[in-house]
Order: sequence, then C-alpha cells, then structure tokens
Amino acid sequence: MAFTVPIDIARTAFPQYTFINALTPSAQKAAFHVRDEEGNDLCLKIIAPNYSVDRLSREILALQSLSHPNVAKLKEYTFSSSEGHERHYLVEEFVPGKDLSEDLQPGHRWSTSNAITFFTQLCNGLSALRKAELVHRDLKPSNIRIMSDNSPVIIDFGLVRCLALTDLTSTSEGAAIGTPAYFAPEQWRGTKHDIDHRTDLFALGILLYQAIIGSHPFLDEGMSARELHDVVCTSEDCFTVQEFTSLPEQWKLIMRRLLEKERARRPHGAAQVATILRRLGEN
Amino acid sequence: MRRGPWHQFGFNSHNDFALDLLRQGAGVGVIISSRDLALQGAIEYSQKYHELDAHVLLDLQFYVPNFSNAKMDSYEISEYRLPVSRLHQVTNDDLTRLTSKLESICIDLSPDGLIAPAIVYEAGRTNIIELNARLFENVKRVGDNLGIPTYATVVLGNSVISSDETINAILSSATSLNCDGWYFSFEFDHERIPSSRDSIYRCCTAGLTLACTGKPVLHAYSGPMALLSLGFGAQATAIGNYQNLWKFPRERWRPTTTRRGRGSAPARYFSSAIWGTIVYPDEIARLSIELQNQVLTQSAFSTRISPGPPFLPFSRWDANKHLVSTICSTVTAIASNSDPRSNAAAAISILERAVDLHSRIAGTGISLRDNTAAYQENWRVAMSDLLNIQSCDFDYLEMLR
Repeated sequence: MAFTVPIDIARTAFPQYTFINALTPSAQKAAFHVRDEEGNDLCLKIIAPNYSVDRLSREILALQSLSHPNVAKLKEYTFSSSEGHERHYLVEEFVPGKDLSEDLQPGHRWSTSNAITFFTQLCNGLSALRKAELVHRDLKPSNIRIMSDNSPVIIDFGLVRCLALTDLTSTSEGAAIGTPAYFAPEQWRGTKHDIDHRTDLFALGILLYQAIIGSHPFLDEGMSARELHDVVCTSEDCFTVQEFTSLPEQWKLIMRRLLEKERARRPHGAAQVATILRRLGEN
Repeated sequence: MRRGPWHQFGFNSHNDFALDLLRQGAGVGVIISSRDLALQGAIEYSQKYHELDAHVLLDLQFYVPNFSNAKMDSYEISEYRLPVSRLHQVTNDDLTRLTSKLESICIDLSPDGLIAPAIVYEAGRTNIIELNARLFENVKRVGDNLGIPTYATVVLGNSVISSDETINAILSSATSLNCDGWYFSFEFDHERIPSSRDSIYRCCTAGLTLACTGKPVLHAYSGPMALLSLGFGAQATAIGNYQNLWKFPRERWRPTTTRRGRGSAPARYFSSAIWGTIVYPDEIARLSIELQNQVLTQSAFSTRISPGPPFLPFSRWDANKHLVSTICSTVTAIASNSDPRSNAAAAISILERAVDLHSRIAGTGISLRDNTAAYQENWRVAMSDLLNIQSCDFDYLEMLR
C-alpha cells in the first residue's frame, strides 16, 4: 500500500515550493515534483509517519556526502517534531527524463552496444554507492531515471542501508522490504546480515537480463509472491530460453554471475561488471 | 601480491632458513608470523628480506584469539588477544587504539601488505563473521594510511568444510569485505598431508570462488599442496617445511604441555617426481638404480646426494631446505603461465607422473613409509573435477584477466 499525501495538503505544508505534480508514491514516501524559489527543479519526498527516523537519519549522513553523475543528489533532509506535529521529509535533485521502466517493455530487446553504454554508467553509480558503503536495496526500473543524453541516474534512497553501521538492529525489519520483483534470494530470506552491495548486483542482473532478453528472468504474469520466491531462490530456467542460449558466451556468463543465488559467486563489485561490459564492447 | 611461492613462517629459526632459500632464488616473499618471531627480530629480518628483493607480509595470527606467547606479547597488541566472547565486547575506541598500535608496528617493520587478523570461520557463528569484519575494517584503515594492500584472512574451520552449503554461506559473508586480496586456508582432517578427494575438491573450489572476486588469493599453509594453488586461481602460495604447516594447523595456537619433534627419525627426501617424501637413505637404498635416478630430483640443497652407494649424510636442515626449494621451483615454473587452466593442467600432469612412479615402486614390492602415495591420485582427480565441474568459474576468471 503506497503512502499518499494529497497535493493540496502538501502545498500548504511546504509553501516555499511550487508544486508541479505528484510523482509515483511508495509504501514509505509520497513524492512530488516541486520547484524552489530559485527555479531549481527538485523532488520532495514526505516520509510516512511509521518509518524509522533513526535509521533514515543515519543513512542520510552517508548519502549527503555522495556526489556522482549517476546518483541523484540529496539536497535536504529534515525531521522535526513539536507539539505533536511532525515534519519528516527529504529533498532530492529532480532528475528530468523518463523511468527505465519505459524502456524495459516485454519483447523489447536492446542492442548490446546500448546496453553496454547504459549499464556501464549504472555500474559507475553503484560503485559510488559502494564506496560510500551504501546498499540501495530497491534497485528497480522506476528508481532509475534516464536523462535526455540516455545516461542513468539512480534515485530514491528510501531503503538504502549504510554498511558501516555496526548496530544493524534497526534494519532487521528492513531486510525484506523493497520490491519483490527485483529481490535477491537473501532479501527473500530476510536475513539482515546477508544484505550487501551484491544484493544490488542481483537486481542489476535482472535489469540487464530484461534489457538483453526482453523479459523478466523470474516473474511471470499471475505469479504469486510465494511462487516468485521459489523461482528466484532455486530456479535456473531463465538460462534455458532460446533468447538467452543464443547469446555470445561472455554475455551469458556475466548475466549468470549477476544472477547467482549465492553472493560469493556474484561479481565482487559493480566496478568489475563495468570493466567486463566495456571489454565486451571492444570485442 | 607477488605471484609465486612465499615462505610461511612456522618455527623459531625460520628467519635464517628463509634467508638461505631467498639467496638461492627460491620464493618471492616471506610471511612473518608473530607467534614465531618477536617484533624486534621481525623488524631486523624484514629489512634483510627486503635487501634480497623479497616482499614481506605480517600475519598477527588471531586465528585462536586467546592464545599468546612471549613473542606475540612483544607486538604490544596482546591486550586484544581475548576469547571470542570477550573480543566481541571490545569497543570501537579499543579498536581504534589497536589500529594505532598496528600502524606503529608497520612503520617499524615496513611490510609490503597487511594480513588482517581474523578468527577461524565456523559454521553458524555469525558473531565470528561480525568480529572478523570489524577487525578487518580497522586494519584496512592502517593499510590505506600506509598505502599498502590489506588482505582479508579467510580460514575455513572444520565445521565449515563439511558441506558445500556451509562453505558457500561463509564465503558469501567473508567476500563482502572490501579487501585488496585474500589470505586463504582450509582446516583439513588430521593427517600428515590432506588426502580426501572431497576435501581437496572443496578447498580448491573455495579458493577458485575467492579468485573469481578478481582479487589476488594467497593460499596459506599449503606445503606440498602448493602444487595445486595456482591451478585454482591463486596468485601465490605459502610454504613451510614443517608438517604442521602443510594445512591450517589450529593446534599451533593452543598451549602444549609436551615437547614435540627433535627425535632421531631419518631425514625425508622430497622428490618432485613422486610429489612426496621418501625416507633417506633407508627407502632410497631399496630402490633400483633406475628408480633412484628418477626419484632423486635435485635442488641446490641436495647436491651431495646421488643415486647408489655410498649414501652420504643428508642433514635434516638440508632436507628441509631441499623440500621447500623443490616445491618453490615447481610452483615458480607453473606461475610463469598466467592461465589458471594451464596451471591446473600442469599440476595434473605432474601428479599423473607421480602416480605412475609410485605404482612402479609398489610394483617392486616396496611399500613406502609415511603413507606417501596416499594423496596424489586423489589430488589429480580433484583437480580434474575442478576443471570440468567449475568450468564456468575458469571462464569467468579468464574474463577478469
């Protein structure tokens, strides 16, 4: 269930912004395209009241230090509470363009050269997150914007986890939140210790598979969450479809590695994937 | 991480032993262990090794963290040698102090890389995973400050190696560390040289998984198994002459009440042709001259030894140096080829010849002591299986090269 805030109420609560339109909300945040007094386009996200303030505020510190062309910049984060009235929101850079979901339609297969260019940049963004010891945990088409120059920008860090934190108890509830269609096996298991940067690489593998093959590797129409869990955690059927088996060996190999059930067998980092993709482009 | 054979410290006088071998061109580096060399000696010998163009790594050996001895105490970090349960309670401030002391040690010792202290991984012990991660993060800061690589220690304990699932689970956690390479070892069953086909296969598969991270792997405590290291994708392999360095030896970090060794057993001659030891001169003398010619493979430390009588004395020290030199020489030859598949094939080829020679010796009615023919065939099969079953991993390694 998405957390929504009517735009008129949001407008009243944040008079400093001009509201352009409401964006797709998530379970944790209502989102709006707004413009500040200087004419900068921004993305205002109002956090659901039941969301862990403690966890988010710690993660925000890491995000605010991050500056990378393939990662949306976090501009502001505010949590205040007085006389029972809470203001809990964040403001991200507004990334113009479209969602990746528009380009990942069933049956639509990207050229390998387009995929190499796009996913290499996406890997660069993920590498920047890793350097900041952050895991996105909800990498999916609607959280990746495509700008006018076709470069990707990772947005929406609502579920991001800071790996540097030794006290992870507050993330135990979060181990299994995210978007199931892009869950890695360790997210389905819900074990907090098993979430790391390679969890994002599994989602990256699903996205790459969708781009190259033209279909989701695990999700079929009408599939229940239980069925999806079973397929993600045990099945390798996605590697038997003709569109996959007819790929060059190196393409098959990198996709297989990204979609490995065990983290140890996935690529060690997004930088490694970027290097491999660049080499595939040279061949 | 330098490619090829390294010297694994394992007893008090290994310092000069390693010097002698390096002077003969055997080995590319030395792993100094705090258990066996006090800090002042480590500083002194580190300089000597560097003068011979060898690299030096420092292993602070937290495998069994509550073990300590006088030499370890000289490193000024003994206060952190605590049982796992207490080590868990160490605060971040304590770890910062440990980091500071370690940095000071490193400035004096000038190692070319740091081996992060870590406890032996055990199945189902998430507290060990967390503790190793904390230790690693702090030591990595020292490595980064000094501009040297930090290698994460991955020693898989007995409870881990019994199944592929537990190995994979531990490796998935261990490989989340953002290290510059892996210092990897495997705790085998109690036998002189590991011989179980399944265990060898699992060890090689685990090493290959680590190699597929794209970070260099140093196969620690390999001994004669160094023959296999580069075949599973390791960049380096660490060899000591003592039998208790031929697999991860947890008992070395337990207090002992009995004195070991120093018996009057005859020297063992390590033969690259049988990839094992043979008792000298007793068993050598029983072989035909033709077999002696094949078995007595030479090194710079065995020039006095030749087939046929008289069998000149062969000191234990020379026998030890001959063993390490012979293994180093074979590993160096294998390491000259950067393709792990070719390295595995080279090891298989050596093992095939060894199996054949053992068979010919057995055919003359001679049964060698030390159960020295027990493992070569199993190693050969394990490596062949690795090449076949883990073919995709070798393909992936190829992509990373």
